[in-house]
Amino acid sequence: MSNVTRNRLTGADSTTGELVSQVVLGTSVLAFVAAWLLLLQWVDETATLAGVPALQLLGGAVVLIGAGLTFVGVGSRLGYLDATPSSTAGVPVGFVFGLLWAILGGIAATLVLGDALSLWLPVATVFGVGGFLGSVLPREDVGSTVPLGTILALFGASVAFGGIDANWTWSPSWSAAVFPGSELVPVAVVFATLLGAWGGAKAKLGFGAEGRQAGAYYLVGSVVFAMLGVLALLVAFIVTNGLETVLTGTSLTGGHLTLPFVGLQVPWAEFPFLLNQTGGLFVEIPGVLPAVIGTLWLVFGAVLFAVPLGVGAAVFLTEYAERGRFTQVVEVATNGLWSTPSIVFGLFGLAFLVPRISGGNSIFVGQLVLGFMLLPLVLITCREAILAVPDKHRDASAALGVTKWQTIRSVVLPAAMPGTITGIILGVGRIAGETAPLLLVFGGSPYPSSSPNVIGSFEFGIEPPFVTNEALLSPASALPYQLYSTITAGVFPKEVFTNTEFGWGTALVLLLVVVGLYAIGVGSRLYFRRKLHHE
Amino acid sequence: MSETEATHEPDQRVTTIGETSERVREEWTDYHFSGDAKLSIEDLDVYYGDEQALQGVSLDIPDESVTALIGPSGCGKSTFLRCLNRMNDRIKAARVDGSVTLEGTDVYGDGVNLVELRKRIGMVFQEPNPFPKSIRDNISYGPRKHGDLDTGLLARLLGRDDTGAERELVERALRRAALYDEVENRLDDNALGLSGGQQQRLCIARCLAVDPEVILMDEPASALDPIATAKIEDLIEELAEDYAVVVVTHNMQQAARISDQTAVFLTGGELVEYGDTDQIFENPQSQRVEDYVTGKFG
Repeated sequence: MSNVTRNRLTGADSTTGELVSQVVLGTSVLAFVAAWLLLLQWVDETATLAGVPALQLLGGAVVLIGAGLTFVGVGSRLGYLDATPSSTAGVPVGFVFGLLWAILGGIAATLVLGDALSLWLPVATVFGVGGFLGSVLPREDVGSTVPLGTILALFGASVAFGGIDANWTWSPSWSAAVFPGSELVPVAVVFATLLGAWGGAKAKLGFGAEGRQAGAYYLVGSVVFAMLGVLALLVAFIVTNGLETVLTGTSLTGGHLTLPFVGLQVPWAEFPFLLNQTGGLFVEIPGVLPAVIGTLWLVFGAVLFAVPLGVGAAVFLTEYAERGRFTQVVEVATNGLWSTPSIVFGLFGLAFLVPRISGGNSIFVGQLVLGFMLLPLVLITCREAILAVPDKHRDASAALGVTKWQTIRSVVLPAAMPGTITGIILGVGRIAGETAPLLLVFGGSPYPSSSPNVIGSFEFGIEPPFVTNEALLSPASALPYQLYSTITAGVFPKEVFTNTEFGWGTALVLLLVVVGLYAIGVGSRLYFRRKLHHE
Repeated sequence: MSETEATHEPDQRVTTIGETSERVREEWTDYHFSGDAKLSIEDLDVYYGDEQALQGVSLDIPDESVTALIGPSGCGKSTFLRCLNRMNDRIKAARVDGSVTLEGTDVYGDGVNLVELRKRIGMVFQEPNPFPKSIRDNISYGPRKHGDLDTGLLARLLGRDDTGAERELVERALRRAALYDEVENRLDDNALGLSGGQQQRLCIARCLAVDPEVILMDEPASALDPIATAKIEDLIEELAEDYAVVVVTHNMQQAARISDQTAVFLTGGELVEYGDTDQIFENPQSQRVEDYVTGKFG
């Protein structure tokens, strides 16, 4: 086979290329992080390092990356550096680089010739095609470095030496928006460094299959870490903003606990924000206890309503109903229900359930509406989990003369339990933070002076309906509902906190409640998994 | 499994190598043994949709012995086996004509209780299929579900539970399946932690725990290594002292080693020859069977 290329089996002797690639890669990662810090305003764009402004430093880093890439690419092509490149960088790379060059050409033409479409479009097209051909036609080591390196070096130089600084603005005539350099440059640097890291990683392993693998690894890795970073930032933001509110007035020994039976008061931890009522005359530090209790009752009721129905329906659809048109329709319908906007569920509850059940907003209707929302997800995940139980278990059970229902109860459902619980966890996470339907069917005063006393309100009678529960049929407050009220129109009744402070505190508690519910779910899933497998 | 096997197109090559003209003769499948038949099958036809998987199979299976069913893939031997305890009822497309009689009762007759039938005719599958439960729960699963063992919370609270009886039953079944010594100390561990051979013996023990009269085995050793296979074979021979064991296998040496009588199915779902194992392997009457057992095809 004459067209098979053979490269040396051992790695390169010379380490120059590897060293330069390493520098490119390292600079890219550092500049990537720095650009994010600037974007998120953790570092001000007026900051300087050794007298050089931050943006100019970033520009210099990008120049270094571009120059390094070009050096490795050209060095490899001329045979000074050991590498095992393929014959071309590939069409996808060509498209990306072509696009970059088209953008460069377009901007340059707008600046020099003016921004009429007929002027910049031809230039951008020519640049784009040039970038594409320049990437695709040469060997991989040149194609995937030189077009990129050049453009990075040009961009970096214009930032570092060309006067694009924090006060520079770009105000295109087709838009009323004004883009300041303090925002544009970090955004551009984020993308530039992603590409730089990709190129550097590729060059480090000498291009070819190994190089592509390394490039993809760094590209995917940095994107994933950036996303995780944003998520961590979100949580950190809520914690830092809410923590002070949540901890107001806490002390380990300031409270009192009255011992049962003895009547003795002993010092006890005090946690006013979590354990106090919100309104009321004698509450010094308002707390979120009524809303926490309200949220827990909502979730409890919804789960109690949705899980038996969902699991039952899943069992019927998988084990009893014949696979066919009917099950397909149900499948599509449940998937559709799961993506139905929650406000629609709320509207249904308001128009249909409220007049028939409580005549006004109530916990019970809130539980039902959230239960309706949870139902499709429980059904979908439980159905998938049951379908994943291997048929050999059903055969084994049938061969022992065990009936279908007993088999479902003792073999199929236990095996499907971990999957079903995963679905319930996901659903509970969604409904615990649901606000829209609660506005319509559930919420009363957002700052109640007492928690709903559901357990103590059951009354039994000898006439229908035999059981009544005043608390279940009354409105209450829940964490997301209270948060919404506080940050929109709320006039907070106490002077201890401002609206914003109280809102952040509520948000943090809501986050903790949802995480707590998750923890319960994950724990029970692990328990059932361990029972099913020998771990 | 048997579904795909049965709907498999008959191998055309087999029917063209010079044994096509041979018709099955009744005396070839006439096998006389002392004592009454445990199971007797009369004119059994099985269809999967339009495809006929078994054609007029008739044979009598004696008690307390091993009956081997051999034949090439797709010849209907697994289908035949699954007819005996009506496991084919679970396949919607399958239709069965003819009769299967267990000690005088037609299992396809009206009002047959499937629970009782499958308690009396147990089955072991090709792939070991213990439940993802503890070894103890695997064994006591059948009796518990049939209400023969009550170890529920209520019974325990009332002091009427059968925990002692369960322990005895689990030990007896595991000993009978030659597994007790290996798992004695880990009866509460998950059965999926056992090796393949141990799992298969556990499945046999699970089957024995409901006290069957007939044990059907569908290639019970084909997924196992040689040592585990040898243990299963020894076990089958032992079980034949008390039970009627029917084993499907496509390993002819295995059939020769363990069985007392052998039924040979050939492509098309026909029973071609049935008789004493020694006679089938040393002096078959049918030319096709001779070709098959001497390895000329199949």
